[in-house]
Amino acid sequence: MSEHTLAELVDVTRTYGGVPVLDEVSVSITSGVTVVVGPNGSGKSTLLGILAGAVEPVDGEVRYAHENGADAGKRIGYLPQRVPFRDAFTARETLGFYAALADGDPDAALADVGLADAGDKRVAALSGGMRRLLGIAQATLGNPAIAVLDEPTSGLDPAMRERAFRAAAARANDDTAVVVSSHDLDLVDSYADEIVVLDRGRVAAAGSVERLLTDHGVENVTSLFRAVVGDGASAVTDAGDGDSDDGPENGDATAPESVHVAGVSDR
Amino acid sequence: MSRFLGSVSIVFRRELLTVQRTPGYPALAAGLLLVLGGLVTVGGGGGTGFVPAVVDLLLPTEVLVPLLGVVLGYRALLTDATSGELTVIRTYPVSTVGYVVGVLFARLVALLAVVGIPFALVGVYVWVTAAPDTGIFATHSGVDSPLLFVRFIAFVLLFGAAYLSLAAAVSTVASSRRSAIALGLLVLLGGVLGGDLAILRSLAGGASATGIAETLALTPNGAFRGLVFEHVVGVAFASDGEFVHTGRAVGSLVGWTLAGTAVAVVTLAYRGRLDVVNERIRRRGGY
Repeated sequence: MSEHTLAELVDVTRTYGGVPVLDEVSVSITSGVTVVVGPNGSGKSTLLGILAGAVEPVDGEVRYAHENGADAGKRIGYLPQRVPFRDAFTARETLGFYAALADGDPDAALADVGLADAGDKRVAALSGGMRRLLGIAQATLGNPAIAVLDEPTSGLDPAMRERAFRAAAARANDDTAVVVSSHDLDLVDSYADEIVVLDRGRVAAAGSVERLLTDHGVENVTSLFRAVVGDGASAVTDAGDGDSDDGPENGDATAPESVHVAGVSDR
Repeated sequence: MSRFLGSVSIVFRRELLTVQRTPGYPALAAGLLLVLGGLVTVGGGGGTGFVPAVVDLLLPTEVLVPLLGVVLGYRALLTDATSGELTVIRTYPVSTVGYVVGVLFARLVALLAVVGIPFALVGVYVWVTAAPDTGIFATHSGVDSPLLFVRFIAFVLLFGAAYLSLAAAVSTVASSRRSAIALGLLVLLGGVLGGDLAILRSLAGGASATGIAETLALTPNGAFRGLVFEHVVGVAFASDGEFVHTGRAVGSLVGWTLAGTAVAVVTLAYRGRLDVVNERIRRRGGY
């Protein structure tokens, strides 16, 4: 594991019902912003779930740079695709619970994502975008070495997408990696340091944005995606909301064009 | 250890807040109070004394308390698991044991309020309305006493805790609210009827009746009933022998509570791994 590598997935395979969703995937996560892109059903959420420790691989292993550290605090932050907080709690109470576990400051975390004025609102009363911002605040509480955010911009309007991406990217520094899955290739262009392109459960391309653009002779991430994934790109560049399962407001308008692993959604 | 207790306390407070904001629980307590008050009234009113009140309440209690235990426990550990919040909580420094213990402690406090308060109010009602000699804090048998009712409530809470813990345990294997309800009902029926039916079956099969006191203590209902007879009802008159072995009965109720907690911890901790093992078998078997 190199100096700046914070985590490594080595030959990771995950199946559901015997159907492979990730197939011998190897990825290194370095400090900065890493964005995982890919058509619907390409295995993005599974990859992020494995990285966060929420999903166990069937084969392969995950190594963390912090594994041998003495600090027993929070090491990985995770925001699943579906924001799972209890509706009856206020935003402050929700973060208060997590902050108490991670020795964090809930009010500072709310302020960091621009929700300082919404602290007393119940989660049920928050808009989809505010819930995701709350999720980002939760994932980054306690300054984990790796923050894993599964489609933090899913279902949001353009302004809120930008805000969510900016809030997530702001956490990345020399010692911290923010790993995000997204269909918003224009935002990926603006914020990503590294990109992992997944296609049908395999890594189709991975590396720094500059290197990949040069290698493929393209000018932006959208073109890179089309060059690497081909027809599946239309599902993403047109998608916006992608393959979120976060309720009807996110829609699933792209489903007919999506590339799916047979019998499996983007778990 | 302090970190463990700290995380238990944080989970406990969160769960307690959830319980406080569940509007159905005060209604459950009010309903239970209504039923208990009605039963005591139909049985002759509070004036008959504590032991007659306990005798009137014993059989309904064996159904109502398990039911309330299941209601309080069947979603205790399911909510976070199905919403996905448990995967988030696991990224924080809180162990599965700490999480389960924190949730169950909060639910036990809810049990104390939803079940304990109505029973205590019935006890107060009996105390206020009963004949003067029932106000004696008896230290010997043959005398009705408020202490007997306090004992009864203590056994009720121990009994309810066993069902609460068992219901919470089965909620960890449920995949939805509906399946949790079905599994909770299974626990209820199995506990309320299963134990007694098993004893009857063993007696019909030729087992010795002298062993009933020991066998009775093995099931939650049998242990509870035995303790009430031994230490509440039986105290008011001279009995020929013990209804149940006290240590064994208390151990049984505590054991069922701990067993439920242990099953919940193991299930939450290893369910994902079991899934992985299944997938590996499928993969290697090619199906």
